[in-house]
Amino acid sequence: MRARDLGLASCHTCGLLLRLAAGSHSHCPRCSSVVHQRFPNSINMTWALLISAMAMYLPANIFPVMAVTSLGNTQSDTIMSGVIYFLKHGDWPLALIIFVASVLVPLLKMLALTYLLVSVQRKSPLRKNQRTSLYRLTELVGRWSMVDVFVVALLVALVQVGALATIEPGIGAIAFAAVVILTMFGAMSFDPRLIWDH
Amino acid sequence: MSAPNEPIDTDNIPDAVVDLESKGFPVVWLLPLVAVLVGGWLIYKTLSEKGPEITILFETASGIEAGKTRIKYRDVTVGEVNDISFSHNLTDVLVTATMEAGASRYLTEETRFWVVRPRLGVGEISGLGTLVSGAYIEMEPHESGKPQREFRGLETPPVVTADKEGTSYRFRARKLGSLSVGSPIYFKQFNVGEITDYQLAEDHSYVDIGFFIYAPHDQFIREGTRFWNAGGINVSMSAQGIEVEMESLASLLQGGIAYETLEQAAGTPVAAEGTAFHLYDNHTQSLEQPITITQTFVTRFSGSVRGLSVGAPVEFRGIRVGTVKAIEIGKDPNRKGITIPVVLIDFEPQRIASFVDIDDTSTSDQRQEAFESDIVQRVEHQIMNLGLRARLQIGNLVTGQLFVDLDFFPDADPVTLVQHGKYPEIPTLPNPLEGILSGINKIIDKLEQANIEETLTNLNELMVSSNKLVSSLGQNAPALAAELQATIEEAHGTLSSLREMASTDGEIGNELYNALTEITAAARSIRVMSEYLERHPEALIKGKGN
Repeated sequence: MRARDLGLASCHTCGLLLRLAAGSHSHCPRCSSVVHQRFPNSINMTWALLISAMAMYLPANIFPVMAVTSLGNTQSDTIMSGVIYFLKHGDWPLALIIFVASVLVPLLKMLALTYLLVSVQRKSPLRKNQRTSLYRLTELVGRWSMVDVFVVALLVALVQVGALATIEPGIGAIAFAAVVILTMFGAMSFDPRLIWDH
Repeated sequence: MSAPNEPIDTDNIPDAVVDLESKGFPVVWLLPLVAVLVGGWLIYKTLSEKGPEITILFETASGIEAGKTRIKYRDVTVGEVNDISFSHNLTDVLVTATMEAGASRYLTEETRFWVVRPRLGVGEISGLGTLVSGAYIEMEPHESGKPQREFRGLETPPVVTADKEGTSYRFRARKLGSLSVGSPIYFKQFNVGEITDYQLAEDHSYVDIGFFIYAPHDQFIREGTRFWNAGGINVSMSAQGIEVEMESLASLLQGGIAYETLEQAAGTPVAAEGTAFHLYDNHTQSLEQPITITQTFVTRFSGSVRGLSVGAPVEFRGIRVGTVKAIEIGKDPNRKGITIPVVLIDFEPQRIASFVDIDDTSTSDQRQEAFESDIVQRVEHQIMNLGLRARLQIGNLVTGQLFVDLDFFPDADPVTLVQHGKYPEIPTLPNPLEGILSGINKIIDKLEQANIEETLTNLNELMVSSNKLVSSLGQNAPALAAELQATIEEAHGTLSSLREMASTDGEIGNELYNALTEITAAARSIRVMSEYLERHPEALIKGKGN
């Protein structure tokens, strides 16, 4: 038995239980907040954000995240070149952290969202509990990928020693931030209740 | 609020207020569109800006750093070094570089790369900027030729880059001298070219030197143009004296070459690219006609040849006809077991081709041929019949340099021509005595020419008459002697009385005067007598007749 089956929904803001006409845009008669049974347009929205994130993921990994200029020599590093740099110098735990947080997690997040969307659209009745857990994990872990962006932002702000050394953000950093933000929004716009609709 | 267990009163649930539906394109789909466009554009831009990847082989990677060293052309960055590795057998350093987009058409087999490092030369200092910025790789683009992606880098920067217009030629030099890459080439002391490279010929028989003449000077390089080494100071001491040649101060330090197109060579065609020129050792040599035909003669000198050097001139009455080829020790054919200096002289008919007969109207070449064909016979003929001899002469009194002088001595002892070695021989005259001998000869000649016979006859007559006089004098001598004795005694008396008179004071002046008058008279009479006696010696016996 779902609220939806009875044609009922509660206002997100004031909690008033309402009788809702299916498929219509309505608002709460008490607090005037918009009310809906499911996030409207959730699948479309999530797909759009997901595809945007995927489109940004490629430049985020190809382009340098930051350019270090010291004594006239400029060295640009991408995420992967940083990982390789640390790996070559035997700093494999650091390399692992960067790799997981910056490469693997965004990728897995996008794959997870894709799986959730596809399974919902195909009205799959299987493993509803696991899928819900996957969604929760996705939403929880997503924000931690912003660590990279924070590091770059901090370094750029701190290391400005004129001619001696400067660090400038690269296009990759912007693309990477876009990936993280878009996947976070994507995860938010996905309505996990859709999993249970079928 | 109702208790949780209370049944829900579904009839009292209020209805939600239905809003007007807003239909249309879901705006959210613009987001992926923008994302794809931005991402796609970024990737396209990067890929389109990324040029071809090339590899350059160098002997060392000194100053080159992966990810830092740039490839530049005219100080504009056109590429960057990605990676430095070894070639498979460690013989070379393999530099991998990514070029800028659009560089592909300039990467052909003609394109050259070299590393620009600070360089200090005599003539110039270059690449000082690389002291601060680090070394970079310079590219000289070339559009023509097959496209290429693998190059061999030059170890030293090329002197002449493709953007300089001009023509390159080569030298065949006997020695390198003080020349080096970049040494200037002068024309009328203008710098018009440079030495670009040099190496030994494959068989090591000469030095192969490449040089470059800038446009527009290259159009004046004729096939007959003479080049000579103008480097350093050229001091030569020869029979002509001391000569000092110097082109410029820079050429003194780093060597240099000068050239000149003589009037007679002005008609020769303009030299094509790559023409090989002979490089003369100095200006004087370059002015000489090239000697291609020589006939060696041998001369044997009995005296010392100190002061004669190889290369000294061989002259015929002041006109140079040849060169001393070698000075050695050889056997004296006339005296067994005696060694004497043997001088080989090269008779060079080309030097005197025009002197053979100035009135001859045949061309110089014909004359030369005719001259060469019978040079040996001609010289032999001259030795036998005209007395052609060689002798050493002092050419320069200061340096004492000798030269070989050929001349005709019709009175020289006749010789028999015997060829002892492989060269025909020219007989010689001794050197230091020769001058004195000829002087004495001349005196004798003069004497011979004088009328000695008549003089002798006259002399004879004189002798006879004087003989007669002496004998007659001998006959009359005692009487004459007695008379003379008396006269002397008288004079003695006179003189003693005169002395007495002179010793007394008083009227001595008068007496002396009288005495002197007397003596004068006496002397006169004596003279008269002696003159008379001379004419008439018989008067001594016969007395003074009338």
